[in-house]
Amino acid sequence: MTKFAETVLNGLALGSVYALIALGFVVIFKASGVMNFAHGSILLLGGWTVTATHQAVGFPLAVLCGALAAGAAAGLLHALAARGLRGAEAPVLTILTIGVDLLLVTALNARIGPDFLSTGDPWGDAVARFGGVAVTQSRLAGIVVSVLLIGGVFALFRWSRWGLSMRAAAADQEAAALMGIRLHRVRLAAWCLAGALAAVAAVFLAAFPAPGLDRTTGQIALAAFPAAILGGMDSAVGALAGSLVIGLSSALAAGYQEQLSGLGTGLADVAPYLVMVLVLLVRPNGLFGSKELSRV
Amino acid sequence: MRTTTRLAAAVAVLALTATACSTKGSSADGAVGKDGVKTGPGVTDSTITMAALTDLTGPYASLGKSIVNAQQLWVDQTNATGGICGRKLRIVVKDHGYDVQKAVTAFTEVEPDAALLTQVIGSPVVAAIKQDLNGKHLLALPMAWASTMLGQPYIQVVGSTYDVDMITGVDFLTRKAGLVAGDRIGHVYFEGEYGENALAGSKSAATKGGLTLVEQKIKPTDQDLTAQVSALREAGVKAVLISAGPKQTAALVGAAAGQGLAVPVLSSAPGFAPQLLDTAVGAALERQLYVVSAISPVSAEVSAMRQLVQDYQAKYPGAPVDSGVASGWSAAQVAAEALSAACAAKDLTREGIAAAHRKTTALNILGVPMNFSDVAKAPTRQAYILKPAKGVTGGLATVEGAHEVKG
Repeated sequence: MTKFAETVLNGLALGSVYALIALGFVVIFKASGVMNFAHGSILLLGGWTVTATHQAVGFPLAVLCGALAAGAAAGLLHALAARGLRGAEAPVLTILTIGVDLLLVTALNARIGPDFLSTGDPWGDAVARFGGVAVTQSRLAGIVVSVLLIGGVFALFRWSRWGLSMRAAAADQEAAALMGIRLHRVRLAAWCLAGALAAVAAVFLAAFPAPGLDRTTGQIALAAFPAAILGGMDSAVGALAGSLVIGLSSALAAGYQEQLSGLGTGLADVAPYLVMVLVLLVRPNGLFGSKELSRV
Repeated sequence: MRTTTRLAAAVAVLALTATACSTKGSSADGAVGKDGVKTGPGVTDSTITMAALTDLTGPYASLGKSIVNAQQLWVDQTNATGGICGRKLRIVVKDHGYDVQKAVTAFTEVEPDAALLTQVIGSPVVAAIKQDLNGKHLLALPMAWASTMLGQPYIQVVGSTYDVDMITGVDFLTRKAGLVAGDRIGHVYFEGEYGENALAGSKSAATKGGLTLVEQKIKPTDQDLTAQVSALREAGVKAVLISAGPKQTAALVGAAAGQGLAVPVLSSAPGFAPQLLDTAVGAALERQLYVVSAISPVSAEVSAMRQLVQDYQAKYPGAPVDSGVASGWSAAQVAAEALSAACAAKDLTREGIAAAHRKTTALNILGVPMNFSDVAKAPTRQAYILKPAKGVTGGLATVEGAHEVKG
């Protein structure tokens, strides 16, 4: 029972960090129809900024710096793409993000090298115990912060003018533009927000029991992809649900690898994708994705 | 008519390109130098050119850099005392970033002008060029220790293999954790040659000791091993083996410390990097981790090693002195011995170098005796048991010196 509770708690912690990343994918996709493949490297940039600044300004300000840097980088990427490739279709911009990802990762790798960088987080290797269930404090903090941030983003969607513009733009760009919504600003804000969320995710990915931020930290963004797709690429609630499903399924598959050995070893790695395919077979638009309607 | 002309022009261009490509080799096989020594590819009257396929930009960049540095140190020192066989040494280093395609391209580029390969990083890379190495009789020294590389006449593993290391490791853990028949031990391992070869060793040792092995297979992209640790704790393991990368070792020990799984953890040599000691997991690593290594630690109390560390630090001030320095230097010693013996036999062709290498039966490399005469066997079955220790050169202190465990 302890093991089950621990595994579930871990799955939730992992899922909540995935949710920060997946939400970024969704926000960008909703606003501009682009799949941002540079999200992993933007996450790495945010995390690296935290590691580079925490000694000078302290952890909380460093996280703010990281979020600002990642947000600015994502915003810049959007601004450059929107300006340089004016009128380009979303698929072209999607391909562009792959190129930017390569550039950014290479530049960051040259700085990070073989090191494991500390973000200077206050949790260190402290462990919280609930009865027999042990979980690191950084994991708990990850869950709390993710819940707060995601709640904040949902509130923003629901009650702010920007959220309204965003929903309008996602529903029908042309109509939104005709109603006086400045699409460019809405999109820019979406990209910046996604970048900032990724930077916060980087802090928790680098926290104990991980040894720190290293050159491969950004690769975790790939794990959040199935989460975003599973939930429905244009649904924020879907991203959250998808992330929790993915986090739990990979944690359970890894935790019960021995019992599941009849299905072959290494199930934990394919579990997220397996769940994604199964869900998509039943609901092709994801758990909460909106159905595409076309009049004939 | 115009089509024919164009076709002819295209064929001519192709033919010219092909000719340009095929004139790359510098010295013909079987030529005899002024000093009466038969020479082969890469060997002229004044120079012996070798090649290295390394990783300077990929996941093993830090290791690759140390290996390249250590081997360059050997080249410089040897050249300062007149070289080998009256010829200066030279290593052409190619970075493949752990990308097999790039590595194969780099190999095709350097192969025609190489007398031997002083390092090849990556089991997948070795597997990709294996046929060519054997076909072209080019001796290669891989920086990988899987037993699948044994039995290949032109591939020489320098040290004991992962499976043998694990047998040594299980023996150590049995004594350390007081394991008795019926106890359970865990093994977390990478999919692929490295992890699976290590697993073969732990399985064999577990069977022999009456232990039950709990297996957990992971991938190099896995960053969080909390669920695996929960499973191991639930299974009641008394010790854990891990054959993965440094990041996974740290993630495992970190999670074990977090969950109160205070059992000894033993890692294969590639699973440790000294950089880990400065992280939040550093203290847990010093408490719980052991490393089994076929190559002597750079902190070993062996005069050859002390000299190497001193020379290395003088030549590359500030560069980390890690296990790559020792393994790069060890491979260089094998190359040096093979070249010197081939020179004595007046045959510096590739076949001559490989044949001379196989006659080396007692080469002491940094305190470990090695015998290269049997293609099917690793040159040694000895391995060290080490322990992470901050402040020690290379981050590893010796717990048990090089020794062999019958398995």
